Amino acid sequence: MRTFRLLAALCAAITFLTAAPARADLSVVTTVPDLAAITKAVGGDHVQVQSLALGSQDPHFVDAKPNLALALNRADLLISIGLDLEIGWLPTLQLGARNPRIQVNNPGFLNASQFPRVLEIPQGKVDRSLGDVHPGGNPHYLYDPRQAVPVAKGISERLAQLDPRNAATYRANFAKFRDELEQARAGWEKRLAALKGAPVIAYHKTTPYLADWLGFEPIAFLEPKPGIPPNPSHVASVLAQGRQRKARLVLVESYYPDTTAKLVASKIPAPVVTIHGGADFRAGETYLQHINELVERLEKGLAGQGG
Amino acid sequence: MSTVFRRPSDALIALFIVTLLSGASATAQEPATADAGVPDAGAPQEEAPAALSPEELAEIEKALGSDATQAQQNAPAGTASAPQSSPGGGGFSLPGMSTSGTNFLDLSLVLDVAAAAFTAKEPLQTGGHDPSRNGFNLQQLELSIGSVVDPYFRFDANIVFAQFGVEIEEAYGTTLALPANLQVRAGQFLTRFGRLNGTHPHAWDFVDQPFSVGRVFGGEGNRGLGTEVSWLTPLPWFVEVVGSATDASGEGTARSFLGSSGERVLSPLDLQLTGVVKQFFPLSDDLSLLWGLSAATGPNPTGYRNRTDVYGTDVYLRYRPITQASHTLVTLQAEAFYRRRQVPEDVLTDFSAYAQAAWRFSQRWATALRYELGTPARGEGGAEVVDPLDPDWTDDRHRVSAAVSFWPTEFSRLRLQAATDRAGWRESPDYSVFLALELVTGAHGAHAF
Repeated sequence: MRTFRLLAALCAAITFLTAAPARADLSVVTTVPDLAAITKAVGGDHVQVQSLALGSQDPHFVDAKPNLALALNRADLLISIGLDLEIGWLPTLQLGARNPRIQVNNPGFLNASQFPRVLEIPQGKVDRSLGDVHPGGNPHYLYDPRQAVPVAKGISERLAQLDPRNAATYRANFAKFRDELEQARAGWEKRLAALKGAPVIAYHKTTPYLADWLGFEPIAFLEPKPGIPPNPSHVASVLAQGRQRKARLVLVESYYPDTTAKLVASKIPAPVVTIHGGADFRAGETYLQHINELVERLEKGLAGQGG
Repeated sequence: MSTVFRRPSDALIALFIVTLLSGASATAQEPATADAGVPDAGAPQEEAPAALSPEELAEIEKALGSDATQAQQNAPAGTASAPQSSPGGGGFSLPGMSTSGTNFLDLSLVLDVAAAAFTAKEPLQTGGHDPSRNGFNLQQLELSIGSVVDPYFRFDANIVFAQFGVEIEEAYGTTLALPANLQVRAGQFLTRFGRLNGTHPHAWDFVDQPFSVGRVFGGEGNRGLGTEVSWLTPLPWFVEVVGSATDASGEGTARSFLGSSGERVLSPLDLQLTGVVKQFFPLSDDLSLLWGLSAATGPNPTGYRNRTDVYGTDVYLRYRPITQASHTLVTLQAEAFYRRRQVPEDVLTDFSAYAQAAWRFSQRWATALRYELGTPARGEGGAEVVDPLDPDWTDDRHRVSAAVSFWPTEFSRLRLQAATDRAGWRESPDYSVFLALELVTGAHGAHAF
């Protein structure tokens, strides 16, 4: 009888242990939240994803906090935007992570800029007299949902390479993501058809991909050169251009100060549209939801409401 | 002792200030021009600013000021600092981060020059690259080289050119692929004792080195040929343990140990051994705390088997809002050094420390304030004694420095710094003013926290 009770207890313990929740198969760290949202969409329950930067941060200037190196230490895969967007902070984190898998040119490192069609690749000599110009091209490609598809495909292939057992799931998830995105994109383009050809002012050169997708025309930027803050004579010049060309919108990222943008907008007059720097991945926002919110803001802007 | 500025220096400094301020003003007010070589969606038609009324121009000025104020409102009392160079190398990036697949070597140059004025005939600057004389000073021209050697090692070096010489400040390899969260550095490197010792002037909020570092380790900071092992512990918060063995010689690098004496290494005890524990606590998204404990031990040349021990602790508190639009950055940083040295028939102890606050209140402007303290050496009986290393240091020394920084971009910096130095053994305080220019060119540096 005592032996039977011991056996029963042992069986119960084994059952309890084996019933523990299944762990994710891959740990993925991305530099920006949009990559994290896309990775989660493609990886589903098989990946645990973390973004090093928040959508509210300027991705050029993220603090290389030691706890981020700790996250990288445990990662199977690191995905970066590339094109020197993270050059000021990511190499330090990679070195401090002591994780050979995620060093550049290893299977655990993925530079996502190899997948989309990159705009604004400089021709001719590039130096810092042009401001903070990226020699490889403009890194803000995820503002264009058409570029998110090849990025998602590249991510799914890398996940499949690292975790062959779940390869079919990753590819199926990618197909689902692509189909949902294409379907949503048709609706977005219809809602924003009025933006085609519209003159627009922006704070920073993040808009080329958005302009390439939606067809509006950026006529001026509040930054005289990338990374150089606005100065009075330049702002006056932008305002004059905005009035002359009858700018329809003023676009500014949520991580830039907006007082100057609001003043210029009020003088043209045109609505200010705040663009979130990325999906609120930590709150569970998906890439589609993020772009949809962006479209809603632009839609309201076209209707004359700022936001 | 004369406290009157010498006329020629005044003239030189005034000329330098006018030249630099004109240059800075021109940069800040640079009108927009088409970015040559950068494709743009049609060249925008540029209208003359005269099309706007004076009231509107005034409103634009006010709005630009308001953007700065908006950032300022998020800051508690304190000051901010610029991004800092990574320990062990200013200005380097990993190959492969660049789009060019043929980029095997990352080179960058950092130039630091300063115009200085001192009231003292013999300024008490301890830093090897501090301004130290009236007039123009070339603090240093630093060449940083970085590259991945292979999947197992990367190489980093810093070569410093000064007006009268060239020195290999650091040249070392770092492992990339050791198991068990280990990493090894080997070569010549700055030890990671405390927070500031492992960094370069490019990373500093002030033009000069805290005198604590110069007093305990020397003007170049503590460094030597040797090897270092560090371990990232598998704890849920960031804890790093570092141990290193380095050459104990060097007047400018291991001053409290063998210093300038030419002692031979006969056993491992003739090396300097350094141990460090660093912990990081993300108190919130915006607030971070880094705390370090350090100890170093090594021989000194005052007698057979006489040794020196140095103990230190460092705290770094950083406030930077990341969940809203803001350029605000506030940092509080403090380090303390306790030094214990065996000398013939006595044991000397002394205490040195500094505390500083920096506040970057807009994208381009920051202020910083620093207080430094150094006590005289005391013997075993507690009485003040003459320290052979610093015979003049017979009383407390207090120094207060204030600085204002202007960044045209992240690649250039202008700083104006003033200090009052009250060394108890001098009759009156020494005053100094520095106007410093720093330029960074070449590979984009990756900044440490």
